[in-house]
Amino acid sequence: MTAFIAANMAPLMFAALVGCLLLGYPVAFSLGAVGLLFAALGIELGLFKPDFMQAVPERIYGVMSGETGTTLLAIPFFTFMGLILQRSGMAEDLLETVGQVFGGMRGGLAYAVIVVGALLAATTGVVAASVISMGLISLPIMLRYGYDRRLAAGTIAASGTLAQIIPPSLVLIILADQFAMPVNLMYRGALVPGLMLAGLYALFVFAVTLWRPDAAPGLPPEAIADREADGSRGLTSLAVLAGGSTALALLLMADSGVHGADRIVITLALTIAIAFPFAVLNAMVLRRAGVVLISKLAERVVFVMVPPLALIFLVLGTIFLGLATPTEGGAMGALGALALAGIKRATDNDPARLNWTIVRDALERTAKLSSFVLFILIGARIFSLTFYGVDGHKWVEHLLTSLPGGLYGFLLVVNLAVFLLAFFLDFFELAFIVVPLLKPAAEVIFRTSAEALALAKSLGLETAVVGGKETVLDVTPLIIWFGVLLAVNMQTSFMHPPFGFALMFLRSVAPAEPYTDKVTGRTTAPVTTAEIYWGALPFLAIQLVMVAILIAAPGMVISATRTPVTQVGDTQPSGPGPNADTTKPPTAGGLSLPGTPPALDGAKPLPPGTPQGPMLDLSVPPRI
Amino acid sequence: MITLLSASAAIDRLTAAIGRYAAWGVLAACVVAAANAIARKLFGLGSNAWLETQWLLFSAVFLLAAPWTLAVNEHIRIDILTGRLSERRRAWLDLAGHVLFLMPVAAVVVWTSLPFALTSLAQNEGSSNFGGLPQWPLKLLIPIAFGLLLLQAMSQIIKTVAVLAGTVRASPGPASPVGSSPNGEPRS
Repeated sequence: MTAFIAANMAPLMFAALVGCLLLGYPVAFSLGAVGLLFAALGIELGLFKPDFMQAVPERIYGVMSGETGTTLLAIPFFTFMGLILQRSGMAEDLLETVGQVFGGMRGGLAYAVIVVGALLAATTGVVAASVISMGLISLPIMLRYGYDRRLAAGTIAASGTLAQIIPPSLVLIILADQFAMPVNLMYRGALVPGLMLAGLYALFVFAVTLWRPDAAPGLPPEAIADREADGSRGLTSLAVLAGGSTALALLLMADSGVHGADRIVITLALTIAIAFPFAVLNAMVLRRAGVVLISKLAERVVFVMVPPLALIFLVLGTIFLGLATPTEGGAMGALGALALAGIKRATDNDPARLNWTIVRDALERTAKLSSFVLFILIGARIFSLTFYGVDGHKWVEHLLTSLPGGLYGFLLVVNLAVFLLAFFLDFFELAFIVVPLLKPAAEVIFRTSAEALALAKSLGLETAVVGGKETVLDVTPLIIWFGVLLAVNMQTSFMHPPFGFALMFLRSVAPAEPYTDKVTGRTTAPVTTAEIYWGALPFLAIQLVMVAILIAAPGMVISATRTPVTQVGDTQPSGPGPNADTTKPPTAGGLSLPGTPPALDGAKPLPPGTPQGPMLDLSVPPRI
Repeated sequence: MITLLSASAAIDRLTAAIGRYAAWGVLAACVVAAANAIARKLFGLGSNAWLETQWLLFSAVFLLAAPWTLAVNEHIRIDILTGRLSERRRAWLDLAGHVLFLMPVAAVVVWTSLPFALTSLAQNEGSSNFGGLPQWPLKLLIPIAFGLLLLQAMSQIIKTVAVLAGTVRASPGPASPVGSSPNGEPRS
């Protein structure tokens, strides 16, 4: 019996973990308890030295001193930013205005929700804020004009969930941390797939409007408020302004040498910078003089687009250009959001936009969120201390690398497992518990499997014979691709009935009782939970289609990680400065052992010109 | 039982106050991070002390807010199976969790981290980064936070036992995901 236990510690430990987690006690402490229990068992069986547990505080200290990279600091910053933006009313302003633009079109409100969902996603990273705002504002309007309830609910939940894949999302930060990859590259890799996913949602809405026009009718003319003096809607003026500014921005960017995600973000910022003076001129000067330069609608659109696009530039732009690390970008974004909310308060003369209660409330919620996230990480690190001690990582790696089908077998099994686990785990749990188990196997498979080698060659990544085996020299792009793949897949954890968070948030704000519509005066039936669940299904399917597209077309992510402007991740472009950001080699977080030799990626000579993996300054000893 | 319950209420007040004050560390860390970024970009200033200050603030936030987060039931649980149980059964499971999971973990961490932190204090251990801060405040946070967590565990046990004994009506059960989302969204 004792011999059996000693020989099978890893599988037993894993089974005990699953059993304990299902008891429903907070995950952080269950993880820690299983780790310590097996540590005690291991000491009893003579597998570990009696002072084994002295390593526990060292592991907690590792989390606290940013040993796993500095990126986890970005979590409270982006959370705080999202909460402030939610209360500042930015989402409401956007929805109202974008709804005016698309409203008359068939399916227009659904497109508006998708566009605003994507914009909010690029400014924050907080799913709940978008889903709740859109559920409160857009859902009643969609119901009023006869939208199919399932379509309305599904569009809102899915568009809100975009916050998880479009940078700066929390899930990308945590995945980057767990894979010991620069967040910067993760963001770049995820931007295009994220926008594409939004595009697929819009395509689905379009298909529905073709097939069942009455499922998403356009708004009647009287429901659209802004009118010019001559009764027109002012769309032409908007189109001219938008087209003109975009064309000019594209022209300015033509020779910039900036590509991919960076280019998208900068072009957007330039566009709004060009359009803004026209709107200001129109609002401040010309209207009083009786001259109309641009329509009211165009003016309004410009004004509501400024805050989100300014924030996108402030956060993503500075990160992509290498002006700021993701952590600093998050901090500046948070302060920027406070400033924007303050400006809103001043211009609208509305104290509800920003006040001490809002700030305190946002801070307290950020503190609680940081606490449960970081405690899961601490729990996972206590668990892994023992799990790695009994060679659990080798056991999992062996299981995963012996799957049939090489790279694609691995991807299929992993994605299927994540999809199924997402039914009852949320992404924090997936990222901290499951991902570290996948990491060693992923590295082996991406380095040496025949499929990975073929893929690497087709994408122009360098390979060489190392130790008698052909090997991909720098697996960073492939790991980023894998990370983005997992991030898209983990979105499903928000959309799975019955526990998906996005569905829960929507349920909490969707009408549960029959109510009287305040415009039409008709009694409107409530949105049933079943309608929300059914509505989510097509969007879940689209998310899986996106996973398949990414597996089939890895170039989409991989080329984005090779933008020539800056290659290095959470580091200052000015070279190794005094800042610890640069001097700490990122060791794997989560379940890895403290003091894992950081040379894993860096020991092999990198061919000149290839983007470096997680930067390693070998002149500085690793922190242990 | 009444005495115990008032002791539990006092613990709850203490940890909530600590958590709420600690929350302001987020704003402070934000300002430090942004100032550090700007100073480095514009004037070439910037130091490890600034960066380590952010980590110290953030660590204080998440460690000191943990007992409060436990009291308001916002640590994530996997309640796919237990969500359907009766309130009493869940209270029993919670009690078992407090006694078998939380208390041992907190106790082991306090027991091992106290010498760890005190050694650092005695040696006035510096940072391994150039120009960094002394490390003992960071290390001392560990036994303090887990000590508070141990205290909070006792408070939770008192409350759970009171529910099981029928002295008080059930406290809010395991939070629904709407109550404790991964995005810090409040119930609405």
